[in-house]
Amino acid sequence: MSEKPVLEIERETGNFHYPERHQYDAGIGLGEQTIHYICDVKKDPEWLREFRLKALQTFQSKPLPTHWASHDLDNIHFEKIRYYLAAGQQPKRSWEEVPDDIKKTFERLGIPEKERKFLAGVEAQFDSEAAYSNVKEELAKEGVIFVGSTEGLHKHPEIFKKWFGKVIPTGDNKFSALNSAVFSGGSFIYVPPGVKVKHPLQAYFRINAENFGQFERTLIIADEGAEVTYMEGCTAPKFETATLHSAVVELVALRGAKIQYITVQNWSANVFNLVTKRALAQEEAEVKWIDCNIGSRLTMKYPGVVLKGRKARGEVLSIALASDGQHQDTGAKMIHAADETTSNIISKSISIGTGRASYRGLVYIPQHLKGCKNNTECDALLINTESRTDTYPAIVVRGQGNSVQHEASVSKVSAEQIFYMQQRGLSEAQAMSLSVNGFVNDLVNQFPLEYSVELKRLIDLEMEGSVG
Amino acid sequence: MNSIINGPQVLNFSHLPSSWQARQKAAWEKYQKIPMPHRKDEDWRFANIQSIQLDSYQDGAATSEAEKKEILKQSQVSFPTAARLVFSNDEKVACDLINSDLEKKGVIIETVSEAIKNHSSLIENYFLKQRVALGSEKFTALHEAFCRSGSVIYVPAGVEIEQPIVIHQWLTGKNQSVFPHTMVVTEANSKVTVLEICQSTEELPGFVCSYNDLVAREGSRLTYVCVQRWSEKVLAFHMGASTVERDAYAKTLMVNFGTAFSRNENRSRLTAPGAQSEMLAMSLAHENQEFDQRTLQDHLAPSAWSDLLYKNSLNHGAKSIFQGLIRVEPGAKQTDAYQTNRNLLLSGEAEADSMPGLEILNDDVKCSHGATTGQVEEELLFYMQARGIPENQAKHLLVVGFLEEVVTRLNEPEIANYLHTLIEEKFERSEKIVWQKKAVSNSTASKTEVDVKALQGAV
Amino acid sequence: MPKGEVHALMGPNGSGKSTLAKVLSGHPDYEVTAGEVLLDGKNILEMEPDERARAGLFMAFQYPSEIPGVTIANFLRAALQARLPEGEEIDAIEFYNRLYQKMDLLEMDRKFTSRAVNDGFSGGEKKRNEILQMAMLEPTYAVLDETDSGLDIDALRIVAKGVNTLRGPNLGVLVITHYQRLLDYIVPDHVHVLVRGRIVRTCSKELDLEFEKKGYDWLLKECGELAST
Repeated sequence: MSEKPVLEIERETGNFHYPERHQYDAGIGLGEQTIHYICDVKKDPEWLREFRLKALQTFQSKPLPTHWASHDLDNIHFEKIRYYLAAGQQPKRSWEEVPDDIKKTFERLGIPEKERKFLAGVEAQFDSEAAYSNVKEELAKEGVIFVGSTEGLHKHPEIFKKWFGKVIPTGDNKFSALNSAVFSGGSFIYVPPGVKVKHPLQAYFRINAENFGQFERTLIIADEGAEVTYMEGCTAPKFETATLHSAVVELVALRGAKIQYITVQNWSANVFNLVTKRALAQEEAEVKWIDCNIGSRLTMKYPGVVLKGRKARGEVLSIALASDGQHQDTGAKMIHAADETTSNIISKSISIGTGRASYRGLVYIPQHLKGCKNNTECDALLINTESRTDTYPAIVVRGQGNSVQHEASVSKVSAEQIFYMQQRGLSEAQAMSLSVNGFVNDLVNQFPLEYSVELKRLIDLEMEGSVG
Repeated sequence: MNSIINGPQVLNFSHLPSSWQARQKAAWEKYQKIPMPHRKDEDWRFANIQSIQLDSYQDGAATSEAEKKEILKQSQVSFPTAARLVFSNDEKVACDLINSDLEKKGVIIETVSEAIKNHSSLIENYFLKQRVALGSEKFTALHEAFCRSGSVIYVPAGVEIEQPIVIHQWLTGKNQSVFPHTMVVTEANSKVTVLEICQSTEELPGFVCSYNDLVAREGSRLTYVCVQRWSEKVLAFHMGASTVERDAYAKTLMVNFGTAFSRNENRSRLTAPGAQSEMLAMSLAHENQEFDQRTLQDHLAPSAWSDLLYKNSLNHGAKSIFQGLIRVEPGAKQTDAYQTNRNLLLSGEAEADSMPGLEILNDDVKCSHGATTGQVEEELLFYMQARGIPENQAKHLLVVGFLEEVVTRLNEPEIANYLHTLIEEKFERSEKIVWQKKAVSNSTASKTEVDVKALQGAV
Repeated sequence: MPKGEVHALMGPNGSGKSTLAKVLSGHPDYEVTAGEVLLDGKNILEMEPDERARAGLFMAFQYPSEIPGVTIANFLRAALQARLPEGEEIDAIEFYNRLYQKMDLLEMDRKFTSRAVNDGFSGGEKKRNEILQMAMLEPTYAVLDETDSGLDIDALRIVAKGVNTLRGPNLGVLVITHYQRLLDYIVPDHVHVLVRGRIVRTCSKELDLEFEKKGYDWLLKECGELAST
């Protein structure tokens, strides 16, 4: 029974595209001229031009990390990618003003509807630039800033410059350097002290063009005691050639602030998704990454928290679904840098068909710290004989009264279990779907309601209609 | 005297056949071609590579007759044994068959150089035939280039040796080096326990590069224990490979007391259904000792079982690294594989790095791993103190309790008693050391920064 | 086996009782080389296990599987939903009303609905959960495979009460057991004795008065002797 691939991911929701109408196109390939083109179009300040050019050098000097990562990275043809594509319009504040094709795209993805229902603000990016950006009026009055990275840089340079590139330095890795060189789009959010944003802010990233690389850059700052939840979703059509998405996301949670960052990654199966995400948590601040990877060809993403202030708390909850031909290489990094900091990592992965799910983790507690704790659990579920899972955690502990605990397990959906459910009248596919949902259930229940419902529906959808 | 970095000296090997010398020459060329480990190599992550400096070590100092006498006197254990082999600086001092029946049954117990001459097929079939290859390929080549000594134990089908065979390896003289090889082959349904005790005559620096070939054929039971108590100034590489065939059971235990820096690599290959492999290790480290342990549970066949337990107790500024991998090949259905690493930090300066890994290429498996690092529980200490036990003694008891799980798993009562004595000895040593925090706190702080940077290599 | 009757199948260990139960429900480990199994005239051997279930066959397992993370309520809803034509949805309120009513019958705490199916259940809880599912899914034929194993006397009484309540003209029940004690509570209309894969004796309540007086153990014993000769 388990010999045939029972599950196949249905990704049709995002599989459509409209003809390109770009006024700005930096052309194919990457060189200094690409950087100058982007800087000119975006009217970047001089310091940023220098920053980008330096980052380009760093990118070019760093080798691909294939000594530990997948050799599939060798299949990215950096010289064949288009690095900047934009319609040349300012982001609109109302959907009526958004160009028709782009508006239709986001309507098909249900964004305006969700905005009406439960979101406090939305930013919708189409290829390199935001097409729509709006935040509810009452939040704007309280001083909440939610704009694209370009607008943030131009209109709020004093906050932007202070934190930009501070959590993730350009040279952190090859792809953060690439992003630093050519970034465009992404969100800039500032929540003033004590302001608690009740409803989530949503960003939606859409790749429409072929041979294109999307490099958004997001910077979120929650000032002292502020609270914010940010959700991002991503889709792209299925093209013949590979597409590259390489974002950098930096979060700063100042004293007592809380940031929750939720990702539903559903790129089409030709996207290389190589993303660097890290947060800085000051005293008693709390950062929670909720990371769900369903799409892409190869995802490499290890959200991290640098726990810089006393009693800061970091958490990564992640779910990965690796189907035929997919490799979800995900994980978490917890860098403890202050006393009594705690971190929690729960990772669940499901490998289907020839899919491969890898967990890579880092927990670091240096010598001078006291009373730090980490708990890590990673569970893998294997569906078919040819499915694969790997776990590669690294744990470094010194100091007084620090403790870490790491548990991992691998299990499969057993034939007995499926048979039992079939005897109750469920089809094999329904039984499988129920089992898989059961496996992720306790984790999904920790997610915010709107999101957990959507995720469960997504998993259900993918399990259903998958059996021939 | 000649440093080992100039290659093997013909003089030391002239008693061996020319084919052996040719083999060594080839291995030496291989050694020179392979680059030294680099801190960015995944297999050397977190390791203190700077401590691998080989220039000052020499090969070939003979042991004086007086010293041999003393060594023989010291090479005793308090329980009955089947045979005893004693080596000093890679030279045979004794090879006593205590149980004379064994020879009649076809058991072979001899030195590597004897086996090269007398049982060349054993050498051909098994010597370095299985590669550990968990990062120390260069040092495997070095071992091959310099190896001229060690033990060959061959147990024919159906022969069960009840009492352990004990091998004593001695290192004597300053900056001397040894390259001992231990080969144990148990044919179908046979049984043997081998205990290898490694020690130095004095507290002097030295270099060790050893390699084990263990082969448990069908239905046999092979137990191998290595008690490593070299001088605490020694730099050591211990590489161990085991092949476990159908329904065979291999149990290995590595006990680390000595050396300044030691790298242990152990790979167990489960090649047929019903194969069982238990991999155990315990370390008691203090001062600036560093124990770097890398393991692989290699499931190549279905219905095999492996279980690994590595425990490290770290005092003062000691450091342990555990990197373990369970690899289940696509065809290895119904695999049960488990891996546990537990580290106990007895001081704020001690460090435990743990990288428990899984690579599962098959869905029909039961696999799990766990790693924990923590301190002695304050509550427990308090409870014991409330019963009148002084703090240091309470700690001592808790550490003994922590390690006892491994000793129990070995399930060899006489060796267990011996290990208990050694654990106490090591404690006594630890207590005599006045450990001082490094005065230069700046440098440690900056080290932390550097480390964080190094860790940012991954995306 | 006509609807509305309760048949007991007894036999010593290894006589093939549980094999029969598995074959009836279509367990993938078994292949039927000859013969037919007719359910209301249809040969079910051609059907997938879930098709058999939806056709009205229910099996109470000797060792029910654990399904971590899937609550009893969700599981039953999914199972009932699978029986509805496409486009029709279960009415949630009605569903819970019915579920609670059946749970009361089986003296099950309502908290049970939010526990994962059989996950961490005691033996008795698992068996009660099996009967609860039977009550909810309303099969036309039910096979109870060694339902009494793992039950203490209180739990046995509750399970039997549940089964007896479900008895009626629309349900045929096959009780597989090798102990008398379950049959003291669920009194069968007919008893069959299986030895080495063959039914060697059949008694019925009306025909065999002695049978009720003596109990069933003598029957087993007699046939057991038969088996050992």
